[in-house]
Amino acid sequence: MSVDTDLSSYADTQEGAAKRDPELLRRLAPFLLRGGAILAFIAVFVFFAVSAPFFFTAGNIGNVLAQSAIPGVLVIGLTIVMIAGGSNVVTGGMDLSLAANMGLSAAVYATLSQAGHGDAAAIAGALATGLAVGAVNAAAVVLAGIIPLLATLAVMNVVAGFELVLTQNTVIPAASDFLSILSALGPFGIPALAYVLVGFTAIVALIVQNTPFGLRLYAVGEFPEAARAAGLSVRPFVAGSFVASGFCGGVAGILSASYLSGSTTGAGEMLLPVVVTALLGTVFSRRLVPTVTGTLLSALFVGFLINGFQLLNISSTLVSGVQGLLILLVVSATTLLNRREMQ
Amino acid sequence: MSDAAGTVVRSGEVIRLEGIVKHFGGSTALSGASLSVRRGTIHGLVGQNGAGKSTLIKLLAGLHRQDAGEIEIEGKPYDRLTPHLVEELGIHFIHQDRLLVPSFTVGEALFLGREPRIPGTPFLDRRLMQRRAAEILGRYFGLRLPNSALIAELSTAEKQIIQITRALLNQPKVLVFDEPTAALVHREAEILFRLIRRLRDEGITVVYISHYLNEIEELCDAVTVLRNGRDVATLEIGETSAAEIGALMVNRDVSELYPKREVAIGGTVLKVEGLSSPGRYEGVTFSLHKGEILGLTGLLGSGAKELVRTLFGLEQSGEGTVEVNGKVVWTASPAAAARNKLALVPEDRRRHGVALDLSVAENATLASLSRFTRFGFLDRTAEILQAENLVDRLQIKTNGSDALVKTLSGGNQQKVAIAKWLSRHSEIYILDEPTVGVDIAAKIEIYTLIGELAARGAGVLVLSSDLDELVGITDRTLVMFRGRIVREFVSSETSADRILAAVAGASETLRHVG
Repeated sequence: MSVDTDLSSYADTQEGAAKRDPELLRRLAPFLLRGGAILAFIAVFVFFAVSAPFFFTAGNIGNVLAQSAIPGVLVIGLTIVMIAGGSNVVTGGMDLSLAANMGLSAAVYATLSQAGHGDAAAIAGALATGLAVGAVNAAAVVLAGIIPLLATLAVMNVVAGFELVLTQNTVIPAASDFLSILSALGPFGIPALAYVLVGFTAIVALIVQNTPFGLRLYAVGEFPEAARAAGLSVRPFVAGSFVASGFCGGVAGILSASYLSGSTTGAGEMLLPVVVTALLGTVFSRRLVPTVTGTLLSALFVGFLINGFQLLNISSTLVSGVQGLLILLVVSATTLLNRREMQ
Repeated sequence: MSDAAGTVVRSGEVIRLEGIVKHFGGSTALSGASLSVRRGTIHGLVGQNGAGKSTLIKLLAGLHRQDAGEIEIEGKPYDRLTPHLVEELGIHFIHQDRLLVPSFTVGEALFLGREPRIPGTPFLDRRLMQRRAAEILGRYFGLRLPNSALIAELSTAEKQIIQITRALLNQPKVLVFDEPTAALVHREAEILFRLIRRLRDEGITVVYISHYLNEIEELCDAVTVLRNGRDVATLEIGETSAAEIGALMVNRDVSELYPKREVAIGGTVLKVEGLSSPGRYEGVTFSLHKGEILGLTGLLGSGAKELVRTLFGLEQSGEGTVEVNGKVVWTASPAAAARNKLALVPEDRRRHGVALDLSVAENATLASLSRFTRFGFLDRTAEILQAENLVDRLQIKTNGSDALVKTLSGGNQQKVAIAKWLSRHSEIYILDEPTVGVDIAAKIEIYTLIGELAARGAGVLVLSSDLDELVGITDRTLVMFRGRIVREFVSSETSADRILAAVAGASETLRHVG
């Protein structure tokens, strides 16, 4: 048939009209944003490396990795929720209960440990706590139909309350061989937590970025109708993402119990950095969607930022200001981009 | 109809639905509808909104279960269909909305739901997906896209190709197209038709659902007309016409499809002289009179669209003048145009014509808020009064003037878009594709409304690519080709075919009209 040539022109009839400047900008914007993010990362890195001599040493980088392990694991959980729920900040996937979840999981770990239970029981307890919180979130979102932002906000308060009840708002110390191994240095003098972060990221990245399951997770979040048309059920994916995120909260609880040698109050303060980091993560991906590797980059970016500030003796109160600014920047940039795409 | 592939056997019925009844709660969606589709044909399915088209199709897709009636696929009876069963039977659906994930690559979008894995691992075989995607797109469509191309970067037409390809991957026996041309420009639709014919010639049976009766006439082999939940006729296309199909759909005479009021034509209200915009249109000169309905048509790129946008201040022209009531005006912005008594009812009403999340009353008074404002506050009572008055006059079907516009049907949304300007006492109405995507009954109401605008002494300019519509409701029709007005027709003395020839640039006596 002679249709072929015609059909190819079918596809580009709209091109002519589209070749105008705003169109070009629209196409370039994602690259600029992404390039800008990576440039900012490099600039921050170089700046600190030059101005703080200790910054660019294996020891310090290992430290940053280790310090980023706990927020990193939490952010990965949030990333999964954002993938499955869509990245609209208000109506999309969001898990505000993650930081509180970590606090409760750590408290459960420490309490079990104090009560004389072994590591295995304490680990199981912490993970079960995380999963349970995730399951409650899943039920609130999928069964009750509450938007994730509000559902997880409510769950966050409940979970924080549980933690207070359990710990009486005190520090519960915990010590065990397992916790010591986690908080010690691993091979090549780099903290074990750094390896945990890299290993955890690698595993989740493999699942999310490279399996059919991961691809479907993206479809469900970004365009539920398309997912349904492809024969997928949306709700199990969304529910699953909250359970996975709860699991991450449990894992982070164990890491935190090790890092702080027990459970301390104030886990909720981790919330803002975690949300910043997750939102920032999207600009580290080519398609401007949440990705696990983008999230790792963004967690490290935030980690290096905080570390650099500390090395330069800049007040730590500035850090949360900078984080707030980053949220504004990233969210407005991606929102503007999306709005332009809609037009 | 072309019988290019003589080898394809066109016998037997692939789909036979007989006496289908379906109730939803208290209301009856289908009351004994039948549809039988012969193998290897393109079968049209038409009907107004509410006639039961979508219920029948959802039933065929296994999404609803019939209360009574028989279903036979390939001669085998089925008690009930499920989505899974339907897919196994080789029936696939191309939805009106392009259900593709924007951030996916072409390969990912094509294989979502049945992703190939690297053998022996749980991981996606992205390379195979890319290779297969390139292969299929090349073979069927001669389309080459970079492996890294994302759905979001594709044109509407390309997205539709991907959507069709998704179905073709299943080696379908039957393809059901649901309003596939709704978002396509004329030329793209033409090429889609060629593709559909080719699929038919390869032995695929096609069910084609559309609002556009001329498409049905051009493309289909047979057509079934639904009305009030039953099939009122199944016709061979060779033995019928778009007008007859339309008349069957609404149960009216052909002559009632395009209501046209006799209106005395008055003085010039809008005069455009030598309007030029480099690369878009040049030397455009015409005038519009009081009480006159003037049609304007042209292919994509003919400049007709751009001209209309210029008149309303959405685009700027290079040179030329625009006179309203004998006074030269400069429509540099939509606000200036509105001040000069111009009203634009845009094509994409959902985006530009109405505010979907506002109520009918709020929309109706949106363009004339100053009239309802006292000391900076809105006079809600006056607003609502005016809105109710408009709802009444335009026969807008709504649960009340406080209902949100997004809950209305397309035709009623369009009426709200027109109402917005009525309350401003505009004198010149520019309507851009006023009946796109609305059903035939709503069309008739919109035509009546346009006639009423003219009867009230307004000048109406209708930009449309529905040529039957232009012949039916306008007084004169201007045809643009490559940026110039090339023909002027007196609508009552011409036919859609003759306008079409001019639209395509085939008119032998090219002349410029003044």
